Amino acid sequence: MIALLSLVLSAGFGQDQLPPVPPDLPSWIRAKGMDELYYKSAPYNWSINRIPKFARDMYATGVGHSMAYEALASGREAELETTTFERINRILKNPPRLPVEEMALSPTFVRKYGYLEKVFDWAHTLHFQTIDVLAYPGWSDSRKEQELEELWSFYQSEPYALTGLPMNMEYLDSFPYSKGFRQKYPKVNGLFWGYHWLQTVNYDMLYRVPTADQAPQYEVIGERYREVELYNETRDFMPMTAELSPRFAKRFPQLANAFDNLHMLHDNVNDILSQPGLTDLQREQQIQIAIYRVLDSTHRGESEDTLRPNSLHDHRHPPSMPGMGMMVGSDEDEMYMSGMGWMNMSECGHCSVPMPEEEPWGATVTADGWTMSVRCLMCARDMASETPGRAIIRAATEDPKKLLILVSDDEGNWTSNISKVVFLEKFGEHPDCSGWSRAFTNDSALKQYLVANPEYAGMPGLNLSAWSKLNQGKPDTYRRIDRPNPYKRGGNK
Amino acid sequence: MKFHNLFVVALCFSIASITSAHEGDCPYCKLKLVQNTPEQDNEVVLRFGNKKIEYRCIFCVFKDQKRYKGDLVVYAPSEKVGEPVILKRTEGKWTGPDGVVFLNSFKKHVDCAALSRAFSNSAAYDAYVKKNDLKDTKAFTLVEFIDFVVKPAK
Repeated sequence: MIALLSLVLSAGFGQDQLPPVPPDLPSWIRAKGMDELYYKSAPYNWSINRIPKFARDMYATGVGHSMAYEALASGREAELETTTFERINRILKNPPRLPVEEMALSPTFVRKYGYLEKVFDWAHTLHFQTIDVLAYPGWSDSRKEQELEELWSFYQSEPYALTGLPMNMEYLDSFPYSKGFRQKYPKVNGLFWGYHWLQTVNYDMLYRVPTADQAPQYEVIGERYREVELYNETRDFMPMTAELSPRFAKRFPQLANAFDNLHMLHDNVNDILSQPGLTDLQREQQIQIAIYRVLDSTHRGESEDTLRPNSLHDHRHPPSMPGMGMMVGSDEDEMYMSGMGWMNMSECGHCSVPMPEEEPWGATVTADGWTMSVRCLMCARDMASETPGRAIIRAATEDPKKLLILVSDDEGNWTSNISKVVFLEKFGEHPDCSGWSRAFTNDSALKQYLVANPEYAGMPGLNLSAWSKLNQGKPDTYRRIDRPNPYKRGGNK
Repeated sequence: MKFHNLFVVALCFSIASITSAHEGDCPYCKLKLVQNTPEQDNEVVLRFGNKKIEYRCIFCVFKDQKRYKGDLVVYAPSEKVGEPVILKRTEGKWTGPDGVVFLNSFKKHVDCAALSRAFSNSAAYDAYVKKNDLKDTKAFTLVEFIDFVVKPAK
């Protein structure tokens, strides 16, 4: 069967096997010439450089994209896994200090597919400006959130904008050429998904985090990116924004969806460019169709309520996560996450009790390449303790404006961004854990809480060192979702 | 191992995987962790500072030990429920209680939790081998076991 499929693919596709060109393809897609767009003018631009290692790694992703596309567009795909990979890898290990003009690195690609570069470039600008807003020290969190809404409107004002609606990822990855690139070029595909891991994991690193506490997190994230994620060939599917930055994706679903749709467009383009059976015309048409599928203009007037399952206009999302389309095998809030298996996004990743609807919102844990939402500090700590390697906890305190950021070393020794942080932990029933396991910015805040909640009266506050040494073991409420990996052959796709 | 014995062991693990709580994947072999049962402990726990990391079997722990730069304590399930064999790596040197021996006879990694185990003494090892009708096994000392596990694969 595989041999037959290979034969069919290598022999080329009949036009009737490929998606047809839609009659309402926007005219700009066929227009020649460049359309250089630039950043929204703002004081926050280039704030990414406040986290120099992160900025350099991000600039290098652009170089990596361009070099791979130039090789594909100029008929050098045979070199992708060797010469091109090595060239890209050298850049990734010695990343540039400034952004590099991608068009200068991929002239053949831009000449052939300039319309695609317009879409990529505009979405990458959104990526970078979103980071700049969040990394800017001059504004409050609420002002930044307002600006992100304005930035989204600014982005949508151009015809090259991608839709912010959730798209069905299974559908978008289901065409005759789909999945070919990741199978044939696993090393370079690993790089692409590594870039997209970095481009999605960073938003929770920045969102509502005091700017002084952003760079320390990148010590953990950057190490993981450079040492593991760039060379990860075992991931089942591209990284999703809601998977790696769940708080940001929930607050700004339109941005999260646009980034995922962009990354899926990258996967589609990789598959099309590396598909040997296509003629130049077919390749061009299929890229135009792939762009069309995820353009904002294609879905204008539609909403999350548009219910056309498993189609181009399937905008369903998991009920608890508006910032993600439906995935392969996903069912309501359950989705398969590479590295974690099946998870329910409405539940705590550690104790399986539903996430709180009200404040405090709980915490997130970033470790071993994943980010999980949890109900309380105890769940966060114990989940990190079970996982080899360094970890980051981002957690609510009694002050909605003060996020607790804990960063651990390999041995689970934590450092805190709040010097006087004090913890309450009176182990009890897990469904109530967000009541008895909490963090406070200081002793007096804890005392106020104890007065308001007499059931915890007399409980001592724990300092960071004492709290770090606790481990309450396995939650008796944890429920593993025992389903096969839907991305593997024989899975419940 | 006779087929029916292997089947019983597999069934125990299978039932455990449905009923027990908080099953993750082994950091080394990526297979599901095998939970304790009333009759037999299976959870291998590695302590590294404040970390408490579960492995599927003692073989996986020794295979994965290089990632930890520091002292380790390993609680390896033994023949007695609730009484693990405690192994320590201090400044790179492994030590264990006197008389501890190891079984390592799995052909496929999926059988590792049943067939890569620690025993507090040779008699307990012999009893386990006899009970499960295992053939061609060897009782490894700690030094022999580490040497066997860390040697390069053929």
